[in-house]
Amino acid sequence: MSAPPAPALLVPEAPQKAESIFHRNLATFAANRLAMASAVVVVLFVLMAVLAPFVAPHDPNETDLFRRMQPPAWLPGGEWSYALGCDALGRDILSRIIYGARISIFIGTAVILVATSIGILAGLASGYLRGWVDVVISRIVDILLGFPYLIFAIGLMAMMGPGLWNIILALAYKEWVIPCRVVRGETLVTRELEYVEAARALGASHWHIMLREILPNILSPVIVVSTIRMAHVIILEASLSFLGLGVQPPTASWGSMVADGRAFILEAWWVSTFPGLAILLLVLAINVASQGLRDAFDPRFQE
Amino acid sequence: MTRLHRIALASTVALCAAMPVAEAKDLTVGFTLDADTLDPANHRKRETETIIRNLYDGIVTRDANMQVVPEIAESMTQVSPTEYDFKIREGIKFHDGTEMTAEDVKFSLDRITVDGAMGDGQTSPRQGLMGPVDKVEVIDGTTVRITLKEPWPILPAMLPNQQIVSKAFVERVGTAGLATEVNGTGPFKLVEWRKGDAIIMERFDDYYGGATDIAPVGPACVDRVIFKVIPESASRVAALLAGDVDIINDLPAFSVAQVKNAPDTDVLTVNGTRSFFIAMNMEGEIFDDPKVRQAAAHAIDKQLIIDKILAGNAASIDGILSPDAFGASELPAYEYDPEKAAALLAEAGFPDGIDVTMDVEGAFKDTAEAVASLLTKAGIRTRVAVGESAQLTEKWRTEGEPKSGDMYFTSWGNGSLDPFDIFTPTHRSHDRGNSAGYANPELDKILDAAAVEMDAEARAAMYREAELIVNADAPYVYLWVPQDIYGVSKRLSGWTPSADSRINLHDACVE
Amino acid sequence: MSLGKLLERILQLLPVLLGVSLIVFAMMALTPGDPVQIMIGDQSVTPEQEAALRRDLGLDRPIHERFFLFVTDAVRGDFGESFYHRRPVADVIAERLPATIELSLVALIVALATAIPLGVLAAIRKNSVLDRLATVGSLLGVSLPGFWFGILLMMLFAVHLQILPVSGRIGYSSEIVPITGFLLVDTLLRGNLSAFWDALSHIILPAITLGLPMTAILMRVTRTSMLEVLRQDYVTFAEAKGLSRRRVLFRHALKNALIPTVSVAAIETGSLLGGNMIVETVFGWPGLGRLVVESIFLRNYPLVQAAVLFYAVTYVLLNFAADLLYTALNPRVKL
Repeated sequence: MSAPPAPALLVPEAPQKAESIFHRNLATFAANRLAMASAVVVVLFVLMAVLAPFVAPHDPNETDLFRRMQPPAWLPGGEWSYALGCDALGRDILSRIIYGARISIFIGTAVILVATSIGILAGLASGYLRGWVDVVISRIVDILLGFPYLIFAIGLMAMMGPGLWNIILALAYKEWVIPCRVVRGETLVTRELEYVEAARALGASHWHIMLREILPNILSPVIVVSTIRMAHVIILEASLSFLGLGVQPPTASWGSMVADGRAFILEAWWVSTFPGLAILLLVLAINVASQGLRDAFDPRFQE
Repeated sequence: MTRLHRIALASTVALCAAMPVAEAKDLTVGFTLDADTLDPANHRKRETETIIRNLYDGIVTRDANMQVVPEIAESMTQVSPTEYDFKIREGIKFHDGTEMTAEDVKFSLDRITVDGAMGDGQTSPRQGLMGPVDKVEVIDGTTVRITLKEPWPILPAMLPNQQIVSKAFVERVGTAGLATEVNGTGPFKLVEWRKGDAIIMERFDDYYGGATDIAPVGPACVDRVIFKVIPESASRVAALLAGDVDIINDLPAFSVAQVKNAPDTDVLTVNGTRSFFIAMNMEGEIFDDPKVRQAAAHAIDKQLIIDKILAGNAASIDGILSPDAFGASELPAYEYDPEKAAALLAEAGFPDGIDVTMDVEGAFKDTAEAVASLLTKAGIRTRVAVGESAQLTEKWRTEGEPKSGDMYFTSWGNGSLDPFDIFTPTHRSHDRGNSAGYANPELDKILDAAAVEMDAEARAAMYREAELIVNADAPYVYLWVPQDIYGVSKRLSGWTPSADSRINLHDACVE
Repeated sequence: MSLGKLLERILQLLPVLLGVSLIVFAMMALTPGDPVQIMIGDQSVTPEQEAALRRDLGLDRPIHERFFLFVTDAVRGDFGESFYHRRPVADVIAERLPATIELSLVALIVALATAIPLGVLAAIRKNSVLDRLATVGSLLGVSLPGFWFGILLMMLFAVHLQILPVSGRIGYSSEIVPITGFLLVDTLLRGNLSAFWDALSHIILPAITLGLPMTAILMRVTRTSMLEVLRQDYVTFAEAKGLSRRRVLFRHALKNALIPTVSVAAIETGSLLGGNMIVETVFGWPGLGRLVVESIFLRNYPLVQAAVLFYAVTYVLLNFAADLLYTALNPRVKL
């Protein structure tokens, strides 16, 4: 593995300059129309999730055995009040997709927040304090990296049983390793910089240095990485739900909706197709937006 | 050679070359699971047994009406309440050409019933299926006698699930070898086992013919049988519709219409043997009152669910026994009546209804949801909680230990179609399947007596009495017995499904 | 790289493996659900029979003793017996392994064969229609949920168009005597061309589904690094010297541009192992991934433990190989 590239961060000499850099980057991002559009899409999804009770046309858990596998509105047998059709228990698919956004977004955000927090702390400690702290944390990182993601998550879910917080833990368990590595790399570099040395000479405590001096300057790549990982986590949660280990019924998760529908995909293709499309759209939007973020904010990627 | 001779020779050769070589007749089964092992005594899965029973025959088997008929045995006699004699046929060959004798039968049964007889000191996992066997002996050369420690009336019903292996073969290849190599007396012999993918068998031409009560007798009709492993149900149905397979098992109810309407396929069903029911925790505070339990029974429109979700392919039950089981009889039904349910709840002290959780395994989540919504409409607000079967059985089948939880949507199999294997485990106090925590000493007495009663009529009467007692107490909401649904190609003939899930391809033909 | 360094890296493997074993063992042991109860199911067994079963499965001993036995046996290559197959776990895994490896390899080849040309072309014709399409394609590739995409592919090609088979590895008209266990290789070695096409038609959809995210990532990496290389001075210099652009491209630029591609590919191959489980489930592919998922639900401890250990070893070795590859290809970086 190559050594981390030469100090990629501009040393903020004065507060105004840092702010103006931030604004410039933000402007760059805004100029990227595709990225902006994607960011808008993401915001729309979030709004949809938050306002679900007002946006969804029906109760997502209301079953109606007489509407089983009703086709979408534009096919014979469908009706516009159940625009995307109904599933095996007669529940409105559109409403379930809207409520399902809550699960995907909530779990995605929670996992990233938990993982990033742990990752930052571990990475800072590991990169700054070095010594046995670094050795132990690096060993743990290596061990956790030795597991293919899905197996670990499946095993943990089997161990802890289903449940919202269990899923978040099962996914965050390994996810923290990624921000940890980034933070460690950046910390290793930043700790050698002059202003850190100065702070040390002035007698600042380790905590102060880690949290007040180093952290603010390495946040940028961490945020970028985290947004990129968010998309990945959402797909992972959907995969877990697909295998039957995700949130429990009747709560709708896009992944479990695809799984439920795959048994009768020959007869009622809409049950699996639309939730899958929802996953695709949200994840795509996050990916494009985070790509734009990276292009705008991380100097290493500026051309 | 004269010119005439040469012409004659040439024409004969040409004729032979022009004659179409008969194409190998293959019968392909789209099957849900691969076999765990090919050793008849070393597994516990029904699907594994289904595959094995085309390679190995047993002492007895079942006919189309689920009656036990002799197979390798010529006849079966019950000498005493604890002794059964089986006269073994002569002239039966194993796939390697050696002759099968009564010694092989004794060896096979000992292998299953004797502790540590599987080699390496291990015990057969199928030992529990043979009941209280004391010993197996060969008397006068061709008769095998099974002696029981105590009377066990379902021995003949349980014997079809065991198969006969070759003593010499096992001694040669060991238990380890038997997992992947086959030397049986069945209508097909093993060609290749592509693990996880398919099992390929071909016709055994020296087959002794099979059970004389099941026609036609003789070697198999098709040349090869291939069990193709297709776990995804949509893929299985697609394979049937595409003509890649001739039989599929486990056809989901919602695909029935499509398979029936397609030009080349059809649907075959057979009454199942697995009873579905909802266990209510009688030790808890909600369901200890029989009125609440009866309310639950009245709240569920069983016929609606059977029609809508099971495509009509199920038999509604009012007691634990399936309509085909020994001792089943008509019982008073708890009709669908949500108002009555609400009234009963109010009588029991819950005028505003109750909130409960229903545990269920992932596979039956949808049906449980439908039931839950019906319960909710009647005032029993039900939340469905999906768990893994391993965790749920630990939680509910406590054998007398205290339990938690409100309702458990579950099932119990009854392959022997005898109450001994289903009524007793689920209703006797502290028994292994008693998820409801039902404890009724009067019922226990009747069940214990019926277990050893030799007279069939008396026995049936006892079970009827027992069912009536239970019906009044309503420890479970008895739901239905789903049919086993198979999809078949119209090219197939000579095959009907069997209630014990056996896919017997001996007489099946493909045109 | 010196032998000492090599040994040092290998030695670093050991605590990782031990840690992995410990974790997976603990996870299985702490998971609720008694494997003996699962096996018994509905059937009636006497307490003695249940105890015998427990003893046969080795579950009557205390946890630390089981772990100790597991490690000492594993070192000798004995991973115990699968609860369900009643055969050595090592055998069961070895039987299913070729299918998974073959699928992963084909996915890798498909990914490389698609990503590299696309990435190079996109870089050369930067900002052209092709470039934009490739970018969109790669974003789609990492955003498509594999399980959904696989199902759709199967429905389209196998069910509606009926040009590809629905599931399995190969048909039954030909008998293939395995040499390597890889059907594509074996059929070619035996000169059985129709069987080769049969095997190919079975593997293509799962391989595409499995390899799609990797293709997307590799394409972007190739494009980025190609762009980087093209900007380098020596390229302009070579062009100035009068060498044809094409010659410059293929002799100088490409080699260097592919270094990151190769090392990312090596690292990402590990993720193919995880993705295998989903793809094998959707397509009914008889590989190790599907077996592991089933075994977790059945609490088939020995099999899960051995399989996870196998995955861990492979993963670590792949990372190691990636490092080696990177140093070998890039003389400026020392390990």
